[in-house]
Amino acid sequence: MSEIWNGPFRRIDNWRWMIPREYKKGMLTDGLIYASEKMIADIRKDQAPEQVANVACLPGIVGCSLAMPDIHWGYGFPIGGVAATTGEEGVISPGGVGFDINCGVRVIKTNLMIEEVATQKERLLAILFQNIPSGVGSEGKIRFSIPDLKKVMKQGARAVLEKGFGWGEDSTFIEENGAMEGVDSGAVSDKAIERGKDQLGTLGSGNHFLEVEVVERIFHPVAARAFGLFPGQVIVMMHTGSRGFGHQICTDHLHVMQNATKRYGITIPDRQLACVPFCSSEGEHYFTAMAAAANYAWANRQLITHWIRESFEKIFQKSAHNLGMHILYDVAHNIAKVEKYTVKGKIVQLCVHRKGATRSLGPNRSEVPETYRHVGQPVLIPGDMGTGSYILVGTAQAEQESFGSTCHGAGRVMSRSEADRKSRGRNIVQEMREKGILVMAESTATLREEISEAYKDVGEVIEVVENAGLAQRVAYAKPMAVMKG
Amino acid sequence: MKSFEILDHTADIGIAGWGISLPELFVHMAQGLFFLIADPPAISNSFETLVEGEGNDYEDLLVTWLNELLYVYDAEQVYLQGFEIEEIGQYFIKSRVMGVPLHTLSKPVKRTVKACTYYATKVEESIPGVWKAEVYFDI
Repeated sequence: MSEIWNGPFRRIDNWRWMIPREYKKGMLTDGLIYASEKMIADIRKDQAPEQVANVACLPGIVGCSLAMPDIHWGYGFPIGGVAATTGEEGVISPGGVGFDINCGVRVIKTNLMIEEVATQKERLLAILFQNIPSGVGSEGKIRFSIPDLKKVMKQGARAVLEKGFGWGEDSTFIEENGAMEGVDSGAVSDKAIERGKDQLGTLGSGNHFLEVEVVERIFHPVAARAFGLFPGQVIVMMHTGSRGFGHQICTDHLHVMQNATKRYGITIPDRQLACVPFCSSEGEHYFTAMAAAANYAWANRQLITHWIRESFEKIFQKSAHNLGMHILYDVAHNIAKVEKYTVKGKIVQLCVHRKGATRSLGPNRSEVPETYRHVGQPVLIPGDMGTGSYILVGTAQAEQESFGSTCHGAGRVMSRSEADRKSRGRNIVQEMREKGILVMAESTATLREEISEAYKDVGEVIEVVENAGLAQRVAYAKPMAVMKG
Repeated sequence: MKSFEILDHTADIGIAGWGISLPELFVHMAQGLFFLIADPPAISNSFETLVEGEGNDYEDLLVTWLNELLYVYDAEQVYLQGFEIEEIGQYFIKSRVMGVPLHTLSKPVKRTVKACTYYATKVEESIPGVWKAEVYFDI
């Protein structure tokens, strides 16, 4: 295991801890970690705080190098890291997005109550498992031609909606309306296309999942009403990203930037933080390729949405429309985006890197669907497979303080080998069944690496972001059936 | 001397490897990578291809080469288990790699390795005649 981090934390209040810029040569700003006192002890156990300090060295960084309470040791950026850089002098870093570009979460609502689904959950999970390709090396059910794939790169979810995989309204309920603009598919390598062409419409493996959940508690009745959530309601949450397509795009551009970083005279403390000016040919090239991968991920989650709806139709013998299977929302938590925020009284355009962090916009923002605009943006936070998930709403304070960002999940506390040791000889499926949660997985190795103990308590993470004002709790949902890759 | 061992990391996994020469070190690192993916099958190789890579230094070369192997694995759906380094310099590697189709593995694949990162990558001749490397993979 990694060494304990012995650097300085300056307590600002109960939920904010600063790493002063004097800590390390090259830091251009302070680091700021959102955490409780209890969490800070765990955060010191690995090198995640050092990574917060490293990110503070990126040229053109605005405000602090931020980390959300689900922070854990990553590579380059910590997981849970957020950094905004200026459009003019600032850099863009593929390490601030990660390999799984636009890994994200989508929630689909139903009008079904727990009692109606509880008796059918075995059949429902079996059919979801059959209809949605998952696991390592899984191939999609549909073949996409190269021109089709290029359309997906440009139009994201809308490209598959046009082919009948979803409803006209769906794109309204996806961050960026399901597609980032201005993609040049020429910036995407043949290798990425080759790797991605058979993986569109697949869930993947590892921490990617699909869960049937029941809304157990409402915290914010006004926002819950706007989002269409109520106690006892069954919802579906999915977590997946851009598969091998995104991994290859990140790999390609990191390789290019190993040279380019030096050429632009940029010094970085970790090669995984390789970066170039946002306004450079390499920067623009990466940004457009990253956007293509983001769009691929939105198309991926759209295809899976279609098969989820088909699965419910088959089990409940009603149309998905009659089952009220509208998308609640879809968020990207590994992404870099150009967004406008007020900094020192001026509205500025920034490149916001979110590496395991979710956008969290407050009320009255045009980016948020009209039906939610009076309350703010839905923020979707999965916990581990044995706990539950939270649906939050974004806040104006997050816009002022964290470039409209909040946490993205529970965050790991245990390494995969430790999880493997702790779960040896245990029947994880049976343990989950005893908790009332049905689990199906392509791989038992994945299940063992994903045991609940391997993660922080998502409730503690949510407590921090709520107390810090970065999002507000709206609903808590408990898993009934879990599909793992 | 061990050929490789696993390095713990909270979310991901690292590999440390050793070799009496640079080519042997690279082969051991590739074996470490594929050990993370699945247990080596006891079947003979039916797939073979050339893999080349360029880098700024040994670290870049190693990361680039391991990522090329991951590309072959993912795009061709083959488990690689034979690695022959034909040429290696400070900036260039040429190798011949062999493997078996994924669907012929008797045990399921253990996990997805998304990519080899540059984080804390090291390649060094730690003592004369012993080469050592460390890399972390995104899981």
